[in-house]
Amino acid sequence: MAETATAARPTRLPTSEALLRRQRGWFFGLSGDRVAKVVFQSNAAISILVLALITFTIFRDAVGFVPQNRQNLEIYRLAGLEFTDHLRREVEDYSAFNRYLGAIRSDRFAQLQRSGLSIAAAQAQLADFDAYANRVADAISAHETILGTLTDTATSLKERQKVAQDTAHARADLERALPTATPAHAAELRRQIETLVPETINFRTEVQAMKDQLPEMKTANTALAATLADLAAHAPRFSDAALDARLAHFTELMQQFPAQLAAATKRMETWDQLKPVSFAESLTAFAFGRDWITASFWQDWYGILPLFFGSLLISIIALAIAIPLGIAAAVYVNQVARPVEQRFIKPTIEFVSAIPSVVLGFFGIAVLGESLRKLSQLPALDWVPGFPFSERLNATTAACLLALMAVPTIFSLAEDAINNVPRSFKEASLALGSTRLQTIVHIIIPSALSGIMAAILLGLGRVIGETMVVLLCAGNRIQIPDFTAGIGTAFQPVHTMTGIIAQEMGEVVRGSLHYRALFMVGVLLFLISLLINWLAQKIVRRYRIAAS
Amino acid sequence: MTQPSDRLFTQPTFAKRAEATVFWLLRAATYFVLLCAAVIFLDIGVKGGAVIFKTHAPFINTTFLTESPETLNVFELHGEKRQMGDRDFRAFKAEHAAELKDVRVETYVYSAGGIFPNIVGTVLLVVGSMTIALVLGVISAIYLSEYATDGPFIRFLRLAIVNLAGVPSIVYGLFGFGLFVIGLNMGVSLLAGWLTLAFMVLPIIITASEEALRAVPKGYREGSLALGATKLQTIFTNVLPYALPGILTSSVLSIARVAGETAPIMFTAAFVVRDEMPWQVKHAIDFVFQGVMALPYHIYVVASKIPQNDYTRDVQYGTAFVFLFTVAAIAATSVVLRVRLRKKYKW
Repeated sequence: MAETATAARPTRLPTSEALLRRQRGWFFGLSGDRVAKVVFQSNAAISILVLALITFTIFRDAVGFVPQNRQNLEIYRLAGLEFTDHLRREVEDYSAFNRYLGAIRSDRFAQLQRSGLSIAAAQAQLADFDAYANRVADAISAHETILGTLTDTATSLKERQKVAQDTAHARADLERALPTATPAHAAELRRQIETLVPETINFRTEVQAMKDQLPEMKTANTALAATLADLAAHAPRFSDAALDARLAHFTELMQQFPAQLAAATKRMETWDQLKPVSFAESLTAFAFGRDWITASFWQDWYGILPLFFGSLLISIIALAIAIPLGIAAAVYVNQVARPVEQRFIKPTIEFVSAIPSVVLGFFGIAVLGESLRKLSQLPALDWVPGFPFSERLNATTAACLLALMAVPTIFSLAEDAINNVPRSFKEASLALGSTRLQTIVHIIIPSALSGIMAAILLGLGRVIGETMVVLLCAGNRIQIPDFTAGIGTAFQPVHTMTGIIAQEMGEVVRGSLHYRALFMVGVLLFLISLLINWLAQKIVRRYRIAAS
Repeated sequence: MTQPSDRLFTQPTFAKRAEATVFWLLRAATYFVLLCAAVIFLDIGVKGGAVIFKTHAPFINTTFLTESPETLNVFELHGEKRQMGDRDFRAFKAEHAAELKDVRVETYVYSAGGIFPNIVGTVLLVVGSMTIALVLGVISAIYLSEYATDGPFIRFLRLAIVNLAGVPSIVYGLFGFGLFVIGLNMGVSLLAGWLTLAFMVLPIIITASEEALRAVPKGYREGSLALGATKLQTIFTNVLPYALPGILTSSVLSIARVAGETAPIMFTAAFVVRDEMPWQVKHAIDFVFQGVMALPYHIYVVASKIPQNDYTRDVQYGTAFVFLFTVAAIAATSVVLRVRLRKKYKW
């Protein structure tokens, strides 16, 4: 027993052994290598942290948009703005009729003048037509009056709601200050709090007054239907086939209008003021909204579609220019050019990508916009739809510059892809007697196709994310481009997702709905770029050829 | 005289002709791109060069490069058109108050004086953000290529880095604004701009540095380890020196990118006008919490906020010239560096 105990007791190390044994480490028991590893690791961790922060920050600020927009839409509904908008849309549609008539009149007037009539005589000839147009314009006046009262009621209601909300906020602020205040100050605060009584608005009864106008509206509807039928029966006729056809189209539209109006009235009747706005509705109002209206007295809308289509239109035009140029240059440099050319062209095109975008934007404003407009005004080019431009700065101006930015990206990636095609493919093709062109078209390009596709996608990413050029040169009109114009669509001014952030971020109040809407746009851009990157990687991985 | 075989060689076949045409088209497309770039460089070079360079001594427009922007006053006095910066104009007005009474004075903001504070601000932004980005980026890259063992986490990290490299710069601007300017209450400041720009190029630097590190042959490391060097010693003596050229090239390219970006600094670091120079601060700590003027933002302002005419053209083209050619010089350095270093280091 005693013997084993002695054996188990640790003995002192011999001195020689203690000296020879390696030290455990000089830094908290860690060796230099371990320390280095920790340092490197923590640094990589910082990088990860940063990347996570980016995602977190923009998402955090954007997420608040949904509930806040829901509130916004709730007020819109509660205060009867939605109710009013049903009628407003119809009245606006009707005023389109007047514009239509106005266009016909001015065409007819021009016709008469061309046939040699003096201005006075032409006016006299059109007197009957003008009387008719006036009757058309007047027919809707009853509705316009109703719309006016509805608008007034709704805006004042919304205003009162806003004041009540502000008062409640101020009161809450004071109440929060109360516990820490000195007695004298507290008395003062209490007095202030008493004066701040937020009004409680009963939206139901208030809006009832608006709803009470529905019978009135129905009578107006019947009257309008009768007037329109009468107007359609007595539509004027010109002796010109084209104009008459337009007039016939006009009367047809007018006859359909009462049915449209009745449908709107029906919607107003069944409209439910207290129907809650769901979160999904708030989100779809953003995702599928057709208006981006800020700082409006009536109602702010944050719909992404006009900006999204603006970005899309510009990207499509830019890629339509950049893809052929970029790929042609890549094929040329890799397959056709002599070594001297290669050494010169490759770095030069890559060098182009270093031109700062703001300089390109400035060039667009100072030179390109004006030159393109001059070009579009050439009489020889009148046959092109959309020529001459109405605006100096439009989607095409911006897209031309963006194309120049996308070419280096597409070029260098596509050139890499072509370079990676195994030599044996080319040699085999040539050995079978194909020409160089046949080899390029049938062997090299198909083999490199995945890389080329990835290059195009990354070019798209570059174009969609570009800010300064579109901000300076795209014309900044917030409207869904009119795609019915065909090729002319390309010459309309547009606004883009990146542009709107750059333009409006500086002026918004922090935490407001507008602020959050801009972060939502940022999140959308973020997601789009992630999608593009992911697709590009996937394509490359999926279609990679075995390089052996 | 003409043999059938001769004809075969002198008369190109259809395929040959098609090939030549297509090749010419390709060539035309390639040179068209170069031409477009050349037009931009020429336009800004000629018009801006006229502002910067003078035909008489000292041959360089020193006022433009050393003074702050001013408002330009244009007026007609005794049938003579005069243009004056704000300071000169005030002095002139004090002297000739009576004469100037009924004279109509047109003013153009930012169109006189020079762009010195903008140059200083840009340099400060670039130096600071590149320091942060390089330290973080290179060390992260060393970790990723030398220490990290492949696993789901590292793979996820790589994916995140690659994807972040493609995120639009305006989104970084939004991020910097939300986190630094507002979230951490830094205000529009140099520090917020540094961090925003640094994080914008971080993914690019990490990817490029890692690639450079991976290109160093494995044998170099193994040889060093076999001789008994520690891992750290191996990295410092046998890996980094050979990867340095690659890292350097990519970082020079990132400098060009950082200097050229406007969107991220628009609401994180840049002011339209700031009267004091960056070093004129009360406390040293204020240095990093001040906004600065910067060339790219200045170009944006003078291109979009003031009219395009002969009086404002000087400042617009002059600024664009200085900016474009500085960035171009940085980018050219990187291209030259890459070509030279590639020749030097070959394994």
